[in-house]
Amino acid sequence: MSGHHNSDNIQHLYEGDQSKLYSGVLSHHTDINSPESKAQVKKIWKVFWILLIITVVEVVIGMFFSHSMPKGLVNFFFLALTILKAGYIVSIFMHLGDEVRSFISTVLIPLVLFVWFIIAFLSDGFFWLRMNNSSPARGDTVKEAPANAKHTNGH
Amino acid sequence: MSHTTVVTSEPKENLWAGGRSPYNLSYGKIMMWAFLLSDALTFGAFLISYGTTRFFSAVWPDPNAVFKSFPFMGHADLPLLFVSLMTFILIMSSVTMVLAVHAGHYNDKKSVAKWLLWTIIGGICFLACQAWEWTHLYGEVGALWGGFTDPATPVEKFHHFFNEHNAGHILATQPGVAMQATHNFFNYFFTITGFHGGHVTSGVVFNILILVNTVNGVYERRGHYEMVEKIGLYWHFVDLVWVFVFTCFYLL
Repeated sequence: MSGHHNSDNIQHLYEGDQSKLYSGVLSHHTDINSPESKAQVKKIWKVFWILLIITVVEVVIGMFFSHSMPKGLVNFFFLALTILKAGYIVSIFMHLGDEVRSFISTVLIPLVLFVWFIIAFLSDGFFWLRMNNSSPARGDTVKEAPANAKHTNGH
Repeated sequence: MSHTTVVTSEPKENLWAGGRSPYNLSYGKIMMWAFLLSDALTFGAFLISYGTTRFFSAVWPDPNAVFKSFPFMGHADLPLLFVSLMTFILIMSSVTMVLAVHAGHYNDKKSVAKWLLWTIIGGICFLACQAWEWTHLYGEVGALWGGFTDPATPVEKFHHFFNEHNAGHILATQPGVAMQATHNFFNYFFTITGFHGGHVTSGVVFNILILVNTVNGVYERRGHYEMVEKIGLYWHFVDLVWVFVFTCFYLL
């Protein structure tokens, strides 16, 4: 059904001359006006509308609610919506969702490194800000640092 | 009795037993994905170092205050509107690219050429928007790499980048801290959007090359449009990176 033919018996096409792979596999796609083709195009436009609506929601939150809602909650919304958008782009537009499972894992597993990178580096930045004696964050200027942070960190 | 079940269910296929590609993908597409993974790590490193710097800064410019201009609208306060337009253009060009890839699956030369042309137009529109934004930031805001380093800079030059509510105290007592944050903010902004813009530029060049090949019938003779798929992967990746740049610089 998809453009990727995972179920077809095309193994022989991967051996030796791969140039026959696509011409061989795709030869039975002939009619771009077929219902199958139209269903795929419809899906592409559906994803476009989803991405557009998510972006509009993000911008509305950014313009009107970013100062009235708790910063942590706003950031959570932004990050969740970003991951959702990224998922649609990778899965539908880049067709990763149509590939075999072993390939999906090969692409996604290395990205788990980012989880650690983000935690490690951001917490280091956060730590440095409060370690630094000359930092104004040790006063009451940053929301996360209560007014008495000076005393708790200083001893 | 045991002879009655000659036809058993197929053994569970082992993708990794050799003799076949475990990925069901051509070499070229696997290598494009490998490149995109490494490129994702590069962009990730940029964005995470931006985040780290932001986390160890006591104050940080407010994107709603920095990015509030729109072409021909003078000094109207329109936060996020222009970058939303840029985001829309890039998503739109991603859709036209995936439609070109789709047409390629059906060997529909005319449609491939049409959608590639729209993708190129979208990419050029995005780059034009970015050129305007950079020009605006440099010309009217005075920001570019390495700006805001002179300790004698008056606070009026950068206090409008900040949200008075969060940063007012630091601006009043330690303007140097706010100036350092402004310096870091713009260095990262120009580096990361510049690196992304470089990717868009090369994507437009690749798209022009494959459009020429499509129109000349290179892929028709070859019998498949796999090259359109590979460049499509690259183009979508550029859109994907923009989704994260948009969040990190304009929303968070």
